[in-house]
Amino acid sequence: MPASDALPLAMRLVWLIPVYGVSGMVLALPWASGWIKRNGPRPAAYLNLLMTLLAVLHGTAVIREVLALGPQHLDFGWFQAADLNLRIGFDLSLTNVAALELVTTMSLICQVFALGYLDKEWSLARFYALLGFFEGAMSGVVLSSNLFMSYFLLEMLTLSTYLLVGFWYAQPLVVTAARDAFLTKRVGDVLLLMGVVALAAWSGSLEFNDLYAWAAQAHTQGWITPLAGTLLGLGLIAGPMGKCAQFPMHLWLDEAMEGPNPASILRNSVVVTCGAIVLLKLMPVVAPLSPLATDVLLVVGAISAIGGALVALAQVDLKRAFSYGTTSSLGLVFIAIAMQLPGIALLFLFAHGLSRALQFMGVGSVIACTNCQDLSELGGIGTRMPATLLAFVVGSAGVTGLLPLGCFWCYGLVLNSLLPDAPALAAVFLLTNGLATANAVRVIRSLFFGPVMPKTRRTPEANWLMALPMVSLTVLVVLLPWIMQRIDPVPGIAAFPLPVAALVLLSGGAGVLAGVLLPQESFWSRSSTIWLRLVQDLLAYDFYTPELYRRIIVMPVAALARLILWIDRTLVKGLIDGIGRASLATAEGLKLTVSGQLQSYVLTLIVAILLLLSGLQWVWGAPG
Amino acid sequence: MGLGGAGLMLLSLLLLIPFGGTLLLLLWPGQPSPQRLRLLAIGILGLQLAISVLVALRFDPAVGGMQLRELHRWVPGIGLDYALGVDGLSLPLVLVNGGLTLVSAVITRDIDRRPRIYFAMLLLISGAVNGAFLAENLLLFFLFYELELIPLWLLISVWGGANRAYAATKFLIFTAISGMLILGAFLGLALLTGSVDFSLTPVLSDRLAMGGQLVLLVALLLGFGIKIPLVPLHNWLPDAHTQASTPVSVLLAGVLLKLGTYGLLRFGLMLFPEAWVRLAPALAIWAAISVLYGSLAAIAQSDMKRMVAFSSVGHMGYVLLAAAAGTPVALLGAVFQMVSHGLISALLFLLVGIVYRKTGTRDLQVLHGLLNPERGLPLTGSLMIVGVMASAGLPGMAGFISEFLVFRGSIAVFPLATLLSMVGSGLTAVYFLLLVNRAFFGRLAITPATGDTSVDGKLDVQLAPVAPRETLPAIALALGVVLLGLIPSSLGHLSESATTALAQIGVGIS
Repeated sequence: MPASDALPLAMRLVWLIPVYGVSGMVLALPWASGWIKRNGPRPAAYLNLLMTLLAVLHGTAVIREVLALGPQHLDFGWFQAADLNLRIGFDLSLTNVAALELVTTMSLICQVFALGYLDKEWSLARFYALLGFFEGAMSGVVLSSNLFMSYFLLEMLTLSTYLLVGFWYAQPLVVTAARDAFLTKRVGDVLLLMGVVALAAWSGSLEFNDLYAWAAQAHTQGWITPLAGTLLGLGLIAGPMGKCAQFPMHLWLDEAMEGPNPASILRNSVVVTCGAIVLLKLMPVVAPLSPLATDVLLVVGAISAIGGALVALAQVDLKRAFSYGTTSSLGLVFIAIAMQLPGIALLFLFAHGLSRALQFMGVGSVIACTNCQDLSELGGIGTRMPATLLAFVVGSAGVTGLLPLGCFWCYGLVLNSLLPDAPALAAVFLLTNGLATANAVRVIRSLFFGPVMPKTRRTPEANWLMALPMVSLTVLVVLLPWIMQRIDPVPGIAAFPLPVAALVLLSGGAGVLAGVLLPQESFWSRSSTIWLRLVQDLLAYDFYTPELYRRIIVMPVAALARLILWIDRTLVKGLIDGIGRASLATAEGLKLTVSGQLQSYVLTLIVAILLLLSGLQWVWGAPG
Repeated sequence: MGLGGAGLMLLSLLLLIPFGGTLLLLLWPGQPSPQRLRLLAIGILGLQLAISVLVALRFDPAVGGMQLRELHRWVPGIGLDYALGVDGLSLPLVLVNGGLTLVSAVITRDIDRRPRIYFAMLLLISGAVNGAFLAENLLLFFLFYELELIPLWLLISVWGGANRAYAATKFLIFTAISGMLILGAFLGLALLTGSVDFSLTPVLSDRLAMGGQLVLLVALLLGFGIKIPLVPLHNWLPDAHTQASTPVSVLLAGVLLKLGTYGLLRFGLMLFPEAWVRLAPALAIWAAISVLYGSLAAIAQSDMKRMVAFSSVGHMGYVLLAAAAGTPVALLGAVFQMVSHGLISALLFLLVGIVYRKTGTRDLQVLHGLLNPERGLPLTGSLMIVGVMASAGLPGMAGFISEFLVFRGSIAVFPLATLLSMVGSGLTAVYFLLLVNRAFFGRLAITPATGDTSVDGKLDVQLAPVAPRETLPAIALALGVVLLGLIPSSLGHLSESATTALAQIGVGIS
């Protein structure tokens, strides 16, 4: 290890940053478990806010050190046995630390927002405890320098997602949502674990840098067969696919909206970012080993991007209208990652994370103030909730390629790289952009500008605990292009020619136009034209994927389980009970054969001994 | 017992305390109240745990072989010696036994029938298990292995559920056959090698032809396979668990099943390394089948206890997989898996016991919403989430590092069987999530078994609050599970030399 003693204190203690979040959880436990009841759950929330603030400040100090000293590496032994060496490692590169700041800052903002959103929640302390755990795991993932630790923390994210989604566990929809979130991610995680275990056995180390070196040579040196390499690659990408809610593991993110909104904000902005960052770190392993896995990433990304954007268009539920947007945007990130554009993918993640968070805060604010999330029952609240309207517009413009906010520049950069080689993928970006813009515009139109509905007549603006983080984040998103230019000064975020910019603008403009022109009144209701209705239903029901899941996975597993149960009850138990009955029956029968004749006993004995001896002789043969 | 034993004869104390305690309880004058007997048993078991910890402190982890040995000729004519020793394989199990028998005594509260015999049997089992783990002589091991049988049979058949006679008899027959097979293998080994030396150290089997080795090893595998249990020899286990009371289930799952896997490693792998290598591919497949069968069967269960019992079948399969692979990492994983399964399954059975005591049922079709903070069992539910997540192999808890070591150690040797076992690990999440979602999430309701919905009294269920002393043992176990998951080097440190030495036996042959 480099002489870590020479490092400044903030860097040497960088392991504390994930610990802050987790200790926030531990500190909240007395309130969460009901040991302390006298003063309500608020102290737990404040303690967590304090810990997160510490994490943010510590992270800022680390960023300054990294800028001054360059990237650093820190690691500690965790478990060693035979040829296995599991370590806790932190890579303090500028990207990792920037991602860390994104995570902790978003966590801080969401925690303030949650104070307002969950104002009268009786188990506020439990929420903050889970959020602390969540934040700790995420800060660890982004800093991790080895695959083992990344896997470890990704699984902790799965667990905390389960608990956060299941926060209101008494509601039936929440129960299924939590189950689906956990199991879908778990499928991805188990496949990833297979990859991790195989890699650990084959390459001997799980440090990313060692893995890169190993993977680059694995095929040329004949360390693994092409088939093994392909399977390994597929296993490794499955984990991030589940985390980022990519097709076909995308349904959970939408259902997860049943959980508290502040957690949804984090999930849709930074959790998916964590998944994508792990994929980014894995890409130099996957790409040389498995061309097929790279192709799968492209296909999955494209399907998720376009499919997600289409499905979002057909939703009447406010939360669902945007949750598919995350799947869609991450699909674009997956394409960028698979096309080996890591720098642009990171910028995209950064811009997307902040803007998406803002969009979801707007959603939370609307839902909290109207107690309604059905788009067909909402309308005309623009004049009543100006701050929310602003957040909504800025956030939506930020996630789509509308000038001049964050994602516009990312779209430009990506298109510039893709157009010459892969025009089809470039078309995916443009199409997705158009659809996403249309979706955002139609939702904003019906929420804020349509006729006032009975449920929105008396809607107030969000309370200041929600408004403060929302407005701050709005400012941040507006400043985003400037920040991005600071992070990535070479070649600059505007390093693409005018025609490309025009293409992005055109796709966005077409989307806006479509969103404005879509017939509002009849749009939600099912059309009487049969083919239009078929399309509407197809999109509204997520291309019938839940049904597909049920038929392809759930039903076979359940049938297999029932079959095993039948075998267990009928064959295994039946056999054993049968032997029991038979021995009783034989005893009954033998009772009658007891004749008292000595000869017959001796004969039986001799036959038995002979059989035994010949058996032994046969088994051992000639003793060697 | 004058010979051998340096200084304190710590290992003999581990037998003396529980056996002496058994006598003490049986001979205690007058009619002591159940409470007094319980406290007495807890005291004795606490002392035993303290001695186990002392053994761990005096144990030198750098040494791979037996330590703190005691040897005393007992019946030289038949080769039965009083030979005790402890190594990195048995020490963790002795500690688990010490901890879990204490837990079983602590959670025994409502014993009304014959408390004196009950606690005496508990102590007897604990001592016998210690003896089996510490024995360095095959016959001595067998003696202790059989000694544990009768008290457990009594515990099930006297203090069990409604159908206890069937379950207890089944348990007795299965385990008696298991004992016969093991004794047969031991005697066969002596007979065929023409030796009356039943001490553990010399590997006699290389004097045998491969055919003979295989027959003896298969007998051992079947014998221990019943105890572990492996599919299809598992049939006694779900019945025994469902009929046994909670403390007995804790003991059965946490400690007694480990006798099987311990025996497999100690006597199968160590005494027949050549034959073991021959059979290993088949064993790996057997392990994978056991894992998948146990997991799938668990999905289809609606009795919580049966579900946990089938999960045991699945999870003990990992140990067989690791033993078949025989690499140092896999064998260390096997030790980890034995310890973590001991803790986790004990925790799960304990919590299911609390649910049963408070609601009168374990049926997943009947229970809903137990996590309700005011009228339900919130703490029990939270601990249950910890337990099932640990069992499903979530990182940060004991199950993960155990499974990781097993898989990492086995995948290079038996890729297919390892991958199949990992699928089983994924299925664990499925059935335990079903358990938590059905019984603990949702609206608190206990649907009448008749399905009569006209009785709408189900919604105002008010469960009796769980006293802190009832959940305290569960909290301790959960902490143990988390600590082992976060600081696995503590156990790794104790066992590594022994498992590496064990792995070398196999390597030397192949």
